[in-house]
Formats: sequence, structure tokens, C-alpha cells
Amino acid sequence: MNNFYNEEKKYSKLVNDLKNLPHIKAPENFEFNLMTRIENKNFGDSKIPKTTSFNIFKFLAPSAIVLTAFILFFIFYPSKNEIQNQIEQNQTVADTQTLIVQNNDKIEKLIPNKVERKSTTKKSVPSNSQNAIVENKTSKLQELFNQKAVSVDEYLSGTTVSKRTIQRSNIVKSGDEPIVDGFLIEKQTDKQTIEKYRAALDSLRKAQEKADSIKKSQK
Amino acid sequence: MNRQLTELTDEELIKEFQDNNTIEAYEILVKRYKDPLMNFVYRFLGDKDACTDVVQETMIKFYLNKDSYRSFAKFSTWIYTIAANLAKNELKRRKRRTIFSIDNNDDEKSLQIEDKMFLQPDRATDSEIKNEMIQNALLKVKPVYREVVILRDIQDLSYEEISDITGLPIGTVKSKINRGRAQLQKFLKHIYKE
Repeated sequence: MNNFYNEEKKYSKLVNDLKNLPHIKAPENFEFNLMTRIENKNFGDSKIPKTTSFNIFKFLAPSAIVLTAFILFFIFYPSKNEIQNQIEQNQTVADTQTLIVQNNDKIEKLIPNKVERKSTTKKSVPSNSQNAIVENKTSKLQELFNQKAVSVDEYLSGTTVSKRTIQRSNIVKSGDEPIVDGFLIEKQTDKQTIEKYRAALDSLRKAQEKADSIKKSQK
Repeated sequence: MNRQLTELTDEELIKEFQDNNTIEAYEILVKRYKDPLMNFVYRFLGDKDACTDVVQETMIKFYLNKDSYRSFAKFSTWIYTIAANLAKNELKRRKRRTIFSIDNNDDEKSLQIEDKMFLQPDRATDSEIKNEMIQNALLKVKPVYREVVILRDIQDLSYEEISDITGLPIGTVKSKINRGRAQLQKFLKHIYKE
């Protein structure tokens, strides 16, 4: 506080001179000029303040633009089917594999009938041991068929064939066997395999004959 | 009616002007404030023609924006605030113009930096010359300090009023006044020898 008064004292002469400076007065025509400007509404840079009121039309244009953008976004928004989902792709592969298994089951149903038809040509009932041998060999054949299983009808009709190579290969490929493209087998049929199948069929036939002969002798 | 109006305070007059659009009330206020505002703006700008324009503009703004005045404030501080803002704008406009002219004309540049402080010692005792020297020194003080020094020491306003006009706290106003005075005394050191 003392410091403040000291400052006042320090500048007392200056302050006194400032107070005694002559007062400038407005020109005589000041009021006349002012009132003339007001009457003529000659306000120069100053403008009459406008009272701003809420106007709904001001908001119509921007709101229409926003609404249009919103609608267009939903129309052209990429649907989730177009987005490649890795999980869904894996699911498709899994579905295809299930389909193959189902087709194999169908074939399994067909194969025993064929074998049975062949075995029942002589109308003989095999014994338990012979039945066991027959079933064993039949199962082996089924395995072979399963490895090569292709749902041909569905493959031709295109119901199970996917455009994707990986899925197609899942249909046509079985195990470590060479890829079968349609009906053209890329690799030539191995003679040894054919001989193997023939031998198996012959042994089945022989077993059937033995079974028949045993039945006859029992009679 | 006019006699009655002249007896009213500033705040009552502006209320009358706001409520009933009484032009006589406006005219009385103009009469009351034209000279103090002229003095304030002249000391701030140092140019009579420019100061007349600024005060006219202040009165026009007062006429057009009468409703923006709120009764809790003093009318004097309100009208001084308008005048101070317009004077500051004018000063900025002049500075821009000066910078532009300095860039383009070397002759004008020498005129702008002319030192009017140099005067013969025998003439310095003359009060008229002294006043001119003070005015010239005042114009050299920074505008932020100049404004408060003029309001306090020339217009004789209270610290509270200056605080309301400038929007600064009273403590800041006081310190600015002191700094302004110090600057002014420094420019007038050949008159005020410590």
C-alpha cells in the first residue's frame, strides 16, 4: 500500500500536468451533423442490428442433404455377403466335406447290395467264419470306394460344385490320390491294383462256393 | 418535458430512450458526453479529424444499439467502452496504413519517425509547448497503457470505472497505469528530472 502511494507521489507532477491539459471540445456542428446522419439513416459502417429469429427454412436445405446422404449410405452400403469372411469360408469347406461324407454313405449302402447280389447267385447261406471273411473283405472294398468317392450326379448338376478351386479340389480329391478333374483320370489305372481287386473278388467267389458245397454235404 | 429530461441521470435518460424512443433523451446524452469523449479519443489518437469521426461513430452505435445497454452498468462506462473500442480500431487501421506507406514510400518513412521531442530549451517553459510535448509523449506510450493513463489522469475516472471499461481487474488497471506513467515520464525525462 505504501509502495502504491510512493508511486503516486513519484508521478504527482506528471499527473498534475495531465489533469491540466486543455480539454478538447467537439466541433460546433457536431450535433447537427450527427442528427442529420441519423435522420438520413446514413450510418456508414455501422448497421442496424437485425433481430435473428428461428426460421425453419434455414434448416430445410442442410437437413435434406443429410437425409439424402443417410439414405444413399444404406442403399449402397456393401452387404455383408459381399465381404469375404474367412470363418464363413471355412464353414463352407466344412459343409462340403460333410456332403462328401453323406455321398459316401449312399455309396456304402449301394456296395453291400452289389456284393450281396453277387454272393446270392448260388442261393447259399455262409457259416459264421465265412461270413466274417466276407464282411472283412466287403469293408475293405468299401474303404477303397470311399477313397475314390465322388458324388457324380451332384457334381454334374453343379449343386455341390463351388467356383472356388479349393472347394472343388475337396470334392474331387480324396486322400493322397491324384486329383481327378471331372471324368478324366490324369493318371493311368495301375494294373496291379486291378489284379488286386480281381483277386479279392475271386477269393470271395471261392469262399461262396465253399460255403455252398458245405451246405450241400450237410444235406 | 425537456426541462424534466435534463434533470434526469444518464441511466434514466437511456431508459427513457430505450422504452419510448425519446430522441430528446438521446440528444441530451450526446450533449453530455460529446466533449469528454472527444477529449479521450483525441488524447488517444492525437488527431482531431479522426477523433471527431470516432465520436460520431460512437454516437451512431449508441443510437443503433441502445437495447444492448443493460441497466446494471453505468452509462458512462458503456459509452466509454464503445468509444475506446472504436479508437483502438482506428489506431490499428492507421498502423496498417503506416506500414503499407513505409514499405512503398521512403519519403513518408522519414516523416513517420520524425522526433518532435526536440525543442529549444527556452521554448520548453511555454505551457502550450509543454502540453504538445506531453501529448506527443503520450502517443509514444503503448496503447494498452495509454488508454488507462488517459482514463485515469485526464478523464479523471475511478479505478472501478476503468476496470469496467477495459474489462481488466482493478489490480491490473493500477499496475498498467503505473507502467504507463513510468513510460510517459521516461519520454519526458528532460521536463521531469528525478
